Amino acid sequence: MRKTVSVLLVCMLAAVLFLSGCAKKTGDTGPIQIALQAPITGDYAYEGQMAKQSVEVATELINKAGGVLGRQIAVTVVDDGSNPKDSAIAAQKAVSLKVVAVIGSYGSSVTEPAEDIYEKNKMVSVGYGCTALRLTVDKKPNYFFRTCGRDDAQGLFFAKYAVETMGAKRIAIMHDNSTFAKGVAEEAKKALQPYVDAGKCEIIYYDAVTPGEKDFSAAVTKLRNTQPDVWYYTGYYTEAGLLVRQARDAGLTCPFIGGNAAINDDFIKIAGIDVAKGCLMTQEPLVTDVTTAISEQFRTLYKEKFGDVPSSPWPVYAADALYAIVGAIKNANSIESDAIATAMHTNMTGVEGVTGAIKFTAIGDREDVPYKMYEVTADGKYVVHQQ
Amino acid sequence: MGITDNILKRIGLGKPSGDQPVTFWSKNRGWLLLAITGAVFAAYPFLPFISDYWIDVAFFVGVYALLGLSLNIVLGEVGLFDLGHTAFYAIGAYVTAILNTTLHIPIIVLLPLSALIAAGFAYLVTSPVIHLKGDYLCIVTIGIGEIVRLTMINNPFNLTGGPNGINGIGGPNLFGLAINSSTQFYFYTWIIIGVIVFGLIRLQHSRIGRAWNYIREDATAAEASGVDVRSYKLLAFVLGAAIAGMAGNIYASKQMSISPGSFTFIESSLLFCIVLLGGLGSIPGSILGAVVVVVFPEVFRQFASYRLLFFGLALMLMMIFRPGGMWPRKREGTGLDGLGIRGLPRNDEDLILLGKPDPAILKPATTAVVRGVRLPPVTVPMDEEMLLQTHGVTLKFGGLTAVNNFDLNVRTGKITSLIGPNGAGKTTLFNMITGIYKPTSGQIDFLGRDITGLKPHTIISYGIARTFQNIRLFPSLTCIENIMSGPHCHARSGTWAAVMHTVAEVREERDIVATAAYRLDEVGLWSYRNELAKNLPYGKQRYLEIARALATAPHLLILDEPSSGLNDKESEDLMVLLQSLVKEGFTLLLIEHDMQVVMGISDWVAVMDMGQKIAEGLPKDVYNNQRVIEAYLGKEDD
Amino acid sequence: MATFFEQLINGLTIGSFYALVALGYSMVFGVMKLINFAHGDLFALGSYLGYTLLIASSSWVTVHFGLWGGMAIAMLFAFSGIGLAGVLMERVAYRPVYPAGRLSLVVSALGMSIFLQNGIMAIWGARPQAYPAAVVPSTRFSLLGLPVTSLQVVILLISFTLMLAIWFIVEKTTFGAAIRATALDRSTATLMGIDVRVVIFFIFALGPALGGIAGVMNGMYYRAISFNMGWTYGLKAFTATILGGIGNIPGAMIGGLLLGLMESLFAGYVSGAWKDVFVFFILIVVLIWRPTGLLGEKTAEKV
Repeated sequence: MRKTVSVLLVCMLAAVLFLSGCAKKTGDTGPIQIALQAPITGDYAYEGQMAKQSVEVATELINKAGGVLGRQIAVTVVDDGSNPKDSAIAAQKAVSLKVVAVIGSYGSSVTEPAEDIYEKNKMVSVGYGCTALRLTVDKKPNYFFRTCGRDDAQGLFFAKYAVETMGAKRIAIMHDNSTFAKGVAEEAKKALQPYVDAGKCEIIYYDAVTPGEKDFSAAVTKLRNTQPDVWYYTGYYTEAGLLVRQARDAGLTCPFIGGNAAINDDFIKIAGIDVAKGCLMTQEPLVTDVTTAISEQFRTLYKEKFGDVPSSPWPVYAADALYAIVGAIKNANSIESDAIATAMHTNMTGVEGVTGAIKFTAIGDREDVPYKMYEVTADGKYVVHQQ
Repeated sequence: MGITDNILKRIGLGKPSGDQPVTFWSKNRGWLLLAITGAVFAAYPFLPFISDYWIDVAFFVGVYALLGLSLNIVLGEVGLFDLGHTAFYAIGAYVTAILNTTLHIPIIVLLPLSALIAAGFAYLVTSPVIHLKGDYLCIVTIGIGEIVRLTMINNPFNLTGGPNGINGIGGPNLFGLAINSSTQFYFYTWIIIGVIVFGLIRLQHSRIGRAWNYIREDATAAEASGVDVRSYKLLAFVLGAAIAGMAGNIYASKQMSISPGSFTFIESSLLFCIVLLGGLGSIPGSILGAVVVVVFPEVFRQFASYRLLFFGLALMLMMIFRPGGMWPRKREGTGLDGLGIRGLPRNDEDLILLGKPDPAILKPATTAVVRGVRLPPVTVPMDEEMLLQTHGVTLKFGGLTAVNNFDLNVRTGKITSLIGPNGAGKTTLFNMITGIYKPTSGQIDFLGRDITGLKPHTIISYGIARTFQNIRLFPSLTCIENIMSGPHCHARSGTWAAVMHTVAEVREERDIVATAAYRLDEVGLWSYRNELAKNLPYGKQRYLEIARALATAPHLLILDEPSSGLNDKESEDLMVLLQSLVKEGFTLLLIEHDMQVVMGISDWVAVMDMGQKIAEGLPKDVYNNQRVIEAYLGKEDD
Repeated sequence: MATFFEQLINGLTIGSFYALVALGYSMVFGVMKLINFAHGDLFALGSYLGYTLLIASSSWVTVHFGLWGGMAIAMLFAFSGIGLAGVLMERVAYRPVYPAGRLSLVVSALGMSIFLQNGIMAIWGARPQAYPAAVVPSTRFSLLGLPVTSLQVVILLISFTLMLAIWFIVEKTTFGAAIRATALDRSTATLMGIDVRVVIFFIFALGPALGGIAGVMNGMYYRAISFNMGWTYGLKAFTATILGGIGNIPGAMIGGLLLGLMESLFAGYVSGAWKDVFVFFILIVVLIWRPTGLLGEKTAEKV
């Protein structure tokens, strides 16, 4: 009996292996295949799953509008489990599926091995949640792009805002030791350096908390005792919500500024509206603040399908990545990687995503990602902060 | 396993069994299987439906197989709970990344170097904690794993690149051939695995592999049979770390960038699963385990968010339906061939005869060299007649004095018995003589050497062997393997010799089997040689334990209640055996309750009560001694 | 100095969560010698059960029974739910594996943990959930000059009461003696007429159930709950158990509290980033100094 079961299992495994070996090739007809590499499981599963939903919505919108080059598009998801090893295999899987281009991925250290593989295989990939400088600045890739901003832009925006607009003298920076949060924190520190040298401010606190934990009272007590004028937290919204609440409980009253991973409806839920009210966030324009037609359609359809707009900004960039790829295919009038890459670098006229026009620099960064300071209102909404 | 056997049999490569004629196939079975395996591995990347993706999957199976094999040494062979093995993998990867990106040392040079540094690291961090037991060691390894990962994240001295890790790592370059495609990496990795598997198989079938297994089965018994438990545990960690370090090197050079996210606690626990899914101590099992752990989630990648759910379920089901793993190491029923030792005489009688010791080595000598162990020079003036003397030995546990100021004299070539009511401290005294406890005060002299406080495995190599009150064998090893632990302390071959099969090592191994065979035959258990020790009836287990002690070629044999649990007939047989041992030249010291045995064979009897000696003398004198009678009757009155 | 006391209270709060989870962990561990990796995930499941009860009926419970009443009901619900889950888990995942030995059990427990974690994700989603503010009592007052919330005080009270109760059951009652005997030597305990199955049933119900209560309190206190939060707590509970000494109930409590205190003092005065490195380092040093934990008995192995 057991033997029969084992034999059956082996046969099934072999069959699955064989079937998944037969890649769906993009020929001259049928839908254009695009892959989405995202963390469907693992620590950032919520981001990956929302990215999947966003891309589904964008795909439906594009296909309804006639697709591209007269063909429909189809998106296959490969899960990278939020970790670098799986990312390499997932990327290789996407390559073996012979897709035209890839959207992905979330997290810089997860994206990095995938970027190398796509680059080696001359396959266009567009990151949507990977903000470390080195992905583009160090590597100068030919086939890699990203629709999200870069750590340094955000860091610079924060530094300027904190010192020049708010007039803060004593600045505290806190991160969570994740690739992303530490990246932004370090860029912010770097951007503050000229002000420090000029004697305009000082960094009185720079430390990390451990993500996944719930109690940060030790850290906020220490922070409170440094008496900061402003407090910048670059990590994710769960910890941000906990931190703000525990800080207020400990009697820390200075303004809280979160990074763009902190902006999320759940931040308000976790912190509680009494505490969240008035918190600030450095952030690229949110989907709700973009008034283009695409944004409108996207929001409507997303709400229709999944009940609400994405609660985090990142999934929207995944949709943008799809728009960028489709736009480049259209402008290049080809599904060849080189042509798409060239179009992305040089010819993105008329390409619009959910968050507005999309253009890339020579190393693949998105041009003109504006940052804005968002504020939590008393009724739990994020609006652009008016001085 | 059953399936594999059947398939092999059908294609004519089954294990040779008695009724089948010896053919070319059955004679060269091992080589043919190796050739077929090699051909499958070589052909894999060129199969029509194998894309780069599946080659990469096979590459990662390779990395995890290496890690599984390396953890298998620590966890499978020695049985140490190691849930932080990723630390060594991380060290290997980071050493490679840091030295390659800063000093531009070629990857191929870093392959041995990262193994070396990982091994050194393992030695440093595990040697202070190696004495910890089971779960305590487990949490310490978890701690080491986490400390390493967090240190990488915190970017000390700007070396590790923090949470981002390090990028721009080069690929290996083999004498001008740059390895960078998936297929090249596949071959590169699996060839390295081939070499390592070769070495590991040789180690498994050497005194080192056996010593590891003895420790896994029963660390105290292993130490008492002459295995330096601490050193062998450390060796396992060091070797395991070296292989894990290599895996780290390979991973880093393929991935080109590394970050702490790849070296989490979850990775360590996956490695743990690999070893157990495959089967503890099984080399093919570890590789198979790696296949499951890597390929299973791949096959279910399509199911996205449910794939880990299935994986968790599969782990549980595996442990419920195949708790021993998929390909457990088979020990019983493989015949002496299963020991993997070369140059054994074909004929049983020849083998047994080969193991008959030269009477000279059993003769206690003041400057004795016992099978290669050179004893330290004589330091204590000794009575030629006295083999062992304890002078005022005392042991206190907190406020309790277990043994108080005890003098014991054991005459060469005689049977000395130690008797006394339960709880008198007899076993405790034995434990001090054999080095398991260290006396609070007093001195123990053996052959004119002060052996007080030496480690058990040293004492046994000087010539004191023992058995235990409640039999302590190596239950899941065969009888012959059990006894082969005896000569272990006199053998000298190291890791390198075992892997290379040097002439001296092969001869030494042959002698070990022969000695074991002789002793097994002597106690009448030859026909049980390939049975697992735990399957033996109780009485036979006693004999097996005695044979194991004899195989250490001791001058003094200490037996702790050898007749307990035996029926009258068995007790009589035992007495015959003990007397024949004395004739052979051994000196015996026993704790015994069976007065018939004591009075029947003892030359001298010492009586102990409440930790003190209350009488000593010839058996008949002691038998009539008033204090002795009181001690026993007093006890019975309780 | 005030800051020091504040950090002390912070450490005590987090430590009491650790201690409560470690308590259940230690009970199971002491008797079964099982490293129950799924224990932390049951704790997380407890959080989710309480959360679901409180919001499912749009705070019906809270409306009818008040904030504290709602909390108590949620805790009872999680207590019984997780107790049941613990017993089920033992039946399904552990009991069939006992004959195979401890190592196989570890793998089965890991499988259970992965299964539970992803099961929670499949049911409640990958996004962290938050206990709504409406169900959480949040009166603030000042105690000896230190700002505390009533919830904090209640949590500390409940934790210590539970710890005392468990300590009493295990150390002072006949049934507790049976538990200790089973932990010491299962076969002898059977010979002495102890129904080991009842003991196992009890510890697998009560141990995780304590975690369930801790889960609800944790959710109430910190509001945010996520599907993978069990890992951290499971690992901390294991650490606390070993630090205190295996199978030692007061040891687990002291281990948990100590862990919380060390974490908060080190993070408060030295560095948050190196906090866990410090904790594990101390653990290793303690074990080198006392190989069987702080309160673990130094046992000479009977040979």
